[in-house]
Amino acid sequence: MLMFILRRILQTIPVIIGVTFVVFFIMQLVPGDPAVLLAGEGASKETIEAIREQLGLNQPLYIQYFEYLTNVFKGDLGVSLKNSQPVLNEILVRLPITIELAFFSIIITIVLGMAAGIISAVKPYSLTDVSVMLVALLGISLPSFWFGLMLMYFFSVKLQILPVAGWDSLLHVILPAITLGAGGAAIVARMTRSSMLEVIRQDYIRTARAKGLRERIIIYKHALRNALIPVITVVGLQFGALLGGTVLVESIFAINGLGRMIVDAIRMRDLPMVQGGVLFASLIFVVVNLFVDVFYRFFNKRIELN
Amino acid sequence: MKERNKPILEVKGLKTLFTTKRGVSKAVDGIDFTLHKGETLGIVGESGCGKSMTSLSILRLIPSPPGKIAGGSVYFKGKDLVTMSEDEMRKIRGNEISMIFQEPMTSLNPVIPVGEQIAEALRLHQKMGKKAAWDKSVEMLKLVGIPSPEKRAKQEPFQLSGGMRQRVMIAMALACTPEILIADEPTTALDVTIQAQILELIKDLQTKIGMGVIMITHDLGVVAETCDKVAVMYAGNIVEHASTEQIFADPKHPYTQGLLNSLPKIHEDQDELITIDGSVPSPYNMPAGCRFASRCPYAEDICATHQPDLISHSEDVKVRCWKYTDKWTGKRDKEGVV
Repeated sequence: MLMFILRRILQTIPVIIGVTFVVFFIMQLVPGDPAVLLAGEGASKETIEAIREQLGLNQPLYIQYFEYLTNVFKGDLGVSLKNSQPVLNEILVRLPITIELAFFSIIITIVLGMAAGIISAVKPYSLTDVSVMLVALLGISLPSFWFGLMLMYFFSVKLQILPVAGWDSLLHVILPAITLGAGGAAIVARMTRSSMLEVIRQDYIRTARAKGLRERIIIYKHALRNALIPVITVVGLQFGALLGGTVLVESIFAINGLGRMIVDAIRMRDLPMVQGGVLFASLIFVVVNLFVDVFYRFFNKRIELN
Repeated sequence: MKERNKPILEVKGLKTLFTTKRGVSKAVDGIDFTLHKGETLGIVGESGCGKSMTSLSILRLIPSPPGKIAGGSVYFKGKDLVTMSEDEMRKIRGNEISMIFQEPMTSLNPVIPVGEQIAEALRLHQKMGKKAAWDKSVEMLKLVGIPSPEKRAKQEPFQLSGGMRQRVMIAMALACTPEILIADEPTTALDVTIQAQILELIKDLQTKIGMGVIMITHDLGVVAETCDKVAVMYAGNIVEHASTEQIFADPKHPYTQGLLNSLPKIHEDQDELITIDGSVPSPYNMPAGCRFASRCPYAEDICATHQPDLISHSEDVKVRCWKYTDKWTGKRDKEGVV
């Protein structure tokens, strides 16, 4: 198991280098010249050229990339073009906020999704099952910006029990986390249900019944552990979607997180900030996938890493 | 001898129906048999004749819906299993009546160590502690002939061969020393050499524990080797019920005769295997008369219109055939010629 984790960690290194490569070159394709933007309207050609010189923008791309890469490994992500602060500092201020939001959202996705899926699967085609799956279908179909605004309207404006926006207390987490986690919860619920229904038909569940076990033990010990294997994969994938979702949700709820920072940076053509933000988002994704693989292996010891 | 006369299991008129979009299928259609302590009853018949459904019905393990026990009773130690509460039934499953299934490859939970799969029944039924149950499950693995049982108990099914998995299934079924073991084709999925070992093992443990065994099989060789008496099933009915010697020496029902006839004979030069002509009637559309009539070389008019009862032919032989009643005219011979 330890060897598995170690090897799996080593495998992330080329992935991370690949990410820096993509992040760097994609930004080169974005139209607009950061030097022009930085110099402001009506700046002279000389000024623009001087800024280019200063930022190393007139060097060949591959040299720019290698410089970027070595700096990244030194922990230097450059300086924001907007406010001349080190990008790393800007990210580290916002990262905990986004991680907190993502954490609570994925908890909602997992707990709500699995619970709904199990409830549905235990009595398939019953009224409970049909209603739960209908809600899940709604959860998948509703766009999060609309859903977030609706939550805000009911809970903050009408009922006035939760704060509208911002990020000060745990109360502030509730609405954004629900908005962000709901879609994933719906997908996990449907996945859990179908996976459970598949597992419940298996011979070993009949064996468990023939042993005289209680239905509860059959479901939670014998069926769920097997049914979770595909669900874990979906949860891992959902986390990626969730990171993308933070961009929207942070904007709706005026949360000063990583997602909103990236959007603002893109709008400003603040290249180093965008690169840094995307790099960190990718890092989170890589780390989460690492955890997913380890969990996967824990639940299904037949998996061997070749 | 007196003890032997009182059966531990008495099945009376058991009926199991499956309701699907295609209609109602009579998987088990009113069967009767008894089982005594220490006795082995074979239930034989071809695929789909209802023998597995019979065994699942006894333990009330029919997938429901679509299946349902529609009538009859199963008396175990004086109590009717069919009408008993689910809680009471659970106390019997795996404790007093155990079952071994056909498919050892898929009948064990793939993510739970085999020792734990045996131990959980012990903790549940025998109220054993964690340690005691584990030790007992290791002991059971040893009893069924698994080498280095301490190590194997911690392994998961995918680390074990098919034969070993079936041994684990047997260990699991016998852990609580049940009074009845239902073995549903326990050797079908195994190599011939392993088959013999497994049958030997069941027989061996049966003598040790003194349990009654219901051996469900389509293999007449298994019947000859292990069973005291045999019930032959055809299309949801028992068509003949007799001692094993009697069945092999003098089969009464034309279907039983056909079955025995279709066995390849080792002493004769045989190019082609003998089969029974025709096919089993659809369970959704059973004929009004004898279900075997369309394939029977002796069939007369009455066979097509009236279903015969399972009648006592002699002291130990029961047969469901018009041929052994006074309604029989006997105008056809064995080849079906009038």
